[in-house]
Amino acid sequence: MATTFTIRNLGLPVSRRAAAATSEQAWIRWLLIGTAVVFLAVFLFMPLAVVFTSALAKGVSVYFSALREPDALAAIRLTLIAAGIAVPLNLVFGIAAAWAIGKFDFFGKSFLTTLIDLPFSVSPVVSGLIYVLIFGLQGLLGPWLAAHDIKVIFAVPGIVLATTFVTFPFIARELIPLVEAQGNEEEEAALTLGASGWQTFYRVTLPNIKWGLLYGVILCNARAMGEFGAVSVVSGHIRGRTNTMPLHIEILYNEYQFAPAFAVASLLALLALATLFAKTAVEWKSRQHAKELARMGEAA
Amino acid sequence: MSIEALNISKRFGQFAALEGVNLEINRGELVALLGPSGSGKTTLLRVIAGLEFPDSGTIRFNGKDISDRTARERQVGFVFQHYALFRHMTVFENIAFGLKVRPRSSRPSREKIRAKVQELLRLIQLETLAQRYPSQLSGGQRQRVALARALAVEPSVLLLDEPFGALDAKVRLELRRWLRQLHDEIHITSVFVTHDQEEALEVADRVVVMNQGRIEQVGAPDEVYNHPASPFVYNFLGNVNLFHGRVDDGKTYIQETATGQVLYVRPHLLEIARLPNGGSHFRARIKQINSAGPLVKVEAIAEWGDSVRVEMPQERFQNLQLVKNEEVFIIPKDVKVFAKREPA
Repeated sequence: MATTFTIRNLGLPVSRRAAAATSEQAWIRWLLIGTAVVFLAVFLFMPLAVVFTSALAKGVSVYFSALREPDALAAIRLTLIAAGIAVPLNLVFGIAAAWAIGKFDFFGKSFLTTLIDLPFSVSPVVSGLIYVLIFGLQGLLGPWLAAHDIKVIFAVPGIVLATTFVTFPFIARELIPLVEAQGNEEEEAALTLGASGWQTFYRVTLPNIKWGLLYGVILCNARAMGEFGAVSVVSGHIRGRTNTMPLHIEILYNEYQFAPAFAVASLLALLALATLFAKTAVEWKSRQHAKELARMGEAA
Repeated sequence: MSIEALNISKRFGQFAALEGVNLEINRGELVALLGPSGSGKTTLLRVIAGLEFPDSGTIRFNGKDISDRTARERQVGFVFQHYALFRHMTVFENIAFGLKVRPRSSRPSREKIRAKVQELLRLIQLETLAQRYPSQLSGGQRQRVALARALAVEPSVLLLDEPFGALDAKVRLELRRWLRQLHDEIHITSVFVTHDQEEALEVADRVVVMNQGRIEQVGAPDEVYNHPASPFVYNFLGNVNLFHGRVDDGKTYIQETATGQVLYVRPHLLEIARLPNGGSHFRARIKQINSAGPLVKVEAIAEWGDSVRVEMPQERFQNLQLVKNEEVFIIPKDVKVFAKREPA
């Protein structure tokens, strides 16, 4: 009450009253918000709309036949295989890396942390080329692999390798700060109570990081399915054999088959939307969890 | 179970946390490791628990060398300063944890675990809160759950790291009396770490005073308080005034720096009087009086310019009717002399 009274006496119009010390005047606020909305519309919502309208431009039957086509089905299958191998591998690597970096101090720790970020800082095309130079016919291990009739490049193993490499940091990056923040005390407590290393991990560490882990898995999976650059270099674009969804889309597009290209693209777009939804749900759930605990903590 | 630490040394990089520490703890004793931060008390506790391994030295339980055993194999109960309760488990699940992770062959049945947890919940007086999560408990309640969790596995040794450090003054006092009672009931060999001399002196059977990775003195509370072995112990166990001087034939000479001796006097062992009593005394001017609490704390400026702290009962203060800036005589009643000055 007292506040209102003072302000009236000052004769300041209500609109000029800042809600908080850090807020700006109305026209600046609307300018900033407007810019953000226009940016989102042009760079996010319009492309998304274009994907779906182009996909359905020649009718629903064309849309579904593009998805049912054998090459498209093969691409979808390969994408699922690559993600299905890369994500579990990175789950294990990510937990192991976060465990080592978050819980222990050792020589070369910051170097290891930098290494984990390497796939983020290297262009995916370069990542792909590395594998070609190592496993390719002219590469380091090429002759040996050829002699033993093992195909890595222009085959599924190469695609899986490239995908795993490019998506490696997602889970580790998500978990390291979380594990670091939680410290060692609960694990130490578990050990003094007689728990084995595995029991400590499974019953104490894992439950504490599960939301961060799930979040990392969702991001990792989205990137694994959408990866283009590295996979493009190692795949060789053999239709029905080594094409993933992004590569299949590119080929269709280059052949001026716009409706089918966008039809397959819409699947990836749907995946992105589903990922966003899942990510938001996980964030909401973990925040809710934290809030609940905090509130109950205050009540006690 | 008795515990022996023999010649334990431990470094963290350049920092020597423990330097040749020897300590014997008898079966059924309640021992306090007391010292300022960085004195090595927590490290010693963690070495005993097997959470830290010393660079050299031996740990024996009941005379048996267990230096190579892990924390898991030592079967000690450990209570952490910040409780370290499993945050995603209820109070019940926390206490039951140690029993549930046992190998199938030695794991008690579901009913037995339940009965054991119920018994411990009664002991810590939290029966109604079994289904709460740690975040729903107050600090004092959490610490009691941590204690019950440690006791559930029936350890032969209970180790507590600053068990009341994170609690507010009132709860602290309550909980430490409760710990003493609990120990009198179950007689488990216990070691607790604290930086609070009052806590150590009140709760423990024996106090181990530590400083800079070494043990300064070990003894019963009244022993270490009344017969401190070093200036550090004297200093750490209570407030103290330092004077340069010497004591000859029961007579105290103050302000004689050439002797190289330092006189230590506790504030309550200085008496304020209006007239000299013929014995040792010096002049001082009253600077500050704080009469809140059972003891009145007086700060005076001695004739040579140093500040002197005196404590007296309220009754004595009422009789004297001291006022600020008054000139008085201060009479030391009991003086402790140590040869060399050590850092306060």
